[in-house]
Amino acid sequence: MNISVYSKKICMLGTFGAGKTSLVRRFVHGIFEEKYLSTIGVHLSHKALSDSLTGIQFNLIIWDLAHIEKFTAATRNYFRGAAAAIIVLDLTRESSFAEKQIRIKEFIESNPEAALVFAGNKTDLLDSHEQAESELHAFAARWQAPAVLTSAKTGENVDSLFELVVAAMPEAKKR
Amino acid sequence: MNTKNILSTVIRETGVAYALFDHRLQLTGSDFTSLPWFLPQGCPAEAGDIWTLFPELIGSEPLVDSLLAKRKKRFVLEKINKLGPDDRLYYADLQFMAHSFQQPASRGVLVLIFDRTSQVAAEQQLQQQYYELQLLRSRLASQPGFLSNAILGASPAVQEVRAFIERIANHNTTVLLQGETGTGKSLVARVIHNLSPRSAKPFVEINCAAIPDTLMESELFGYKKGAFTNAQSDKKGLIEEANGGTLFLDEIGEMPLSLQAKLLTFLEQKAFRSLGSTDEKRVDVRLIAATNRDLGRAVADNDFRQDLFYRINVVSCTLPPLREMDDDVLLLAEHFIELLHFEVNEKVTGLSPSARAKLLSWHWPGNVRELRNVIERAMIFARRDKIEASDLLLSLTPAPGGGDDFTLPATGFSLEEHERKLLEQALQHCRGVQSAAAARLGLSLDTFRYRIKKYDLNPRDYS
Ligand SMILES: Nc1nc2c(ncn2[C@@H]2O[C@H](COP(=O)(O)OP(=O)(O)OP(=O)(O)O)[C@@H](O)[C@H]2O)c(=O)[nH]1
Ligand SMILES: [Mg+2]
Repeated sequence: MNISVYSKKICMLGTFGAGKTSLVRRFVHGIFEEKYLSTIGVHLSHKALSDSLTGIQFNLIIWDLAHIEKFTAATRNYFRGAAAAIIVLDLTRESSFAEKQIRIKEFIESNPEAALVFAGNKTDLLDSHEQAESELHAFAARWQAPAVLTSAKTGENVDSLFELVVAAMPEAKKR
Repeated sequence: MNTKNILSTVIRETGVAYALFDHRLQLTGSDFTSLPWFLPQGCPAEAGDIWTLFPELIGSEPLVDSLLAKRKKRFVLEKINKLGPDDRLYYADLQFMAHSFQQPASRGVLVLIFDRTSQVAAEQQLQQQYYELQLLRSRLASQPGFLSNAILGASPAVQEVRAFIERIANHNTTVLLQGETGTGKSLVARVIHNLSPRSAKPFVEINCAAIPDTLMESELFGYKKGAFTNAQSDKKGLIEEANGGTLFLDEIGEMPLSLQAKLLTFLEQKAFRSLGSTDEKRVDVRLIAATNRDLGRAVADNDFRQDLFYRINVVSCTLPPLREMDDDVLLLAEHFIELLHFEVNEKVTGLSPSARAKLLSWHWPGNVRELRNVIERAMIFARRDKIEASDLLLSLTPAPGGGDDFTLPATGFSLEEHERKLLEQALQHCRGVQSAAAARLGLSLDTFRYRIKKYDLNPRDYS
């Protein structure tokens, strides 16, 4: 039997401190750091994941990007060839929803076919989920993209987040 | 001369590595001696394909094709992070290039790897400080979740306050907050607002003691162009600014009697007229009032209208003084250390045992505000990573309000001129950091901002 594994590049987008690095570390290594170490440039991690519905296997190459202050040719190169972006929003800071800062538009320009998935992060710090959830979904709906409330700290929905990404891949959709 | 030896010397001396791939994208040559941390763990530098050594290219297959076809000359990826075997982060720039070294007809890809670790480390530190500060600021500024946690403390007195807030936040009633100076009445008002259904609407704060009596009416109710000599255009009052949200009247005990009547009318009719206007404006605001005076006594002394007192005293809460908050003083002190860590002194991380003992024994006449000022000063002077008892200057702390002993000179005194000077000095001392300057003058940030605006001072001029 010939089992093919699809390697996919995924970019983490979102304003500084939203939890991009934390979500990747929780997903890949199962750990969480309270201390903030701001990312510069990009850090790559790998993890294998199969689509729960079709069983198709994916090798995810996750690009944990820094907050993008200025969009340059170098940033465009980071985006090149991505199959998906996870857009991380910090639910405790309204400012993290500022669309321009997240560079969604530039990402779509570079990768018109790529899937988008939104993560509303830091739910563990909220008293109630309801308002955050409706705001998050309203925001994601602008790109007709799925969204999920996550906490890198407790691990809530972190696996589901990446499963959503995998489910959005064309290979998983075909069958 | 052996060019290969020259090349490897150059490579080692300049902190560069290279990897050469043939047209099948298999490794045919490399030198990683000056960047040993770059190779993925367990990945030999002698064999393998380009995707294993440079997973950065996965997804960019068309790009690699165009390098091989020489349609594209080079492709650069900057600041790639690698975790070294020593658990440190290293940074490199990768440059992918077309080449035909082996034979003129053959093609391949050359990758040059440049070590950027030392430059990026410096950049990282700067960025870290900046973002971390922003993160703290925005957390404190806006978040309902954070704010309800902002009322720190485990003592029964504080728990009662929290329970009170939760009970009344969702109702529309007027709230009266009582408590000594510096007990955090303004913070509680803000939390009530943020937990209420009005949270998306404005929270407008006005300190009745901070505004001259003559200006207060126009501040609150606004005016129409021509209402008085300087009224060159219409101005919205704060009540109108607060429409849909919450109006917080701090130090309501200081409101002049004449205005108390107008406020009462407004509260009863939910409508008012701006100065010089005949039109009635309807607004929907929730009022939260605060005072450190005994309003009951003020009523008895004819300093405060009885009917207004009844109107605002629907539900009230007395905030505990710090000396009744048990060990919470330590909790709060540590909170302030954390908060001021980046703004004031990065070295300081906590309190020494002697400092703890000293904080617990003091009676805190200026309450939480005084504690914050004491901690801030201690952090400026602390020489070690823990604040020592000797860093805590308690006896020098001014009495609440700062100037109870002040008497008006017979020759008079220009309040405005001195106010301006004090604001300027505070900004200078704190290098333009408004929250610090406000704390130094014992003002809330909003009051401080209001006043510097009044004197047209720009914090940036002092940074
Ligand atoms: N409570 C809580 N804190 C979180 C969560 N996710 C991240 N954090 C904290 O938020 C801070 C920033 O997290 P990072 O993951 O470094 O954020 P980032 O998006 O990678 O930031 P940059 O690299 O600067 O763009 C850190 O102090 C984390 O501990 C979460 O789900 N809950
Ligand atoms: Mg990061």
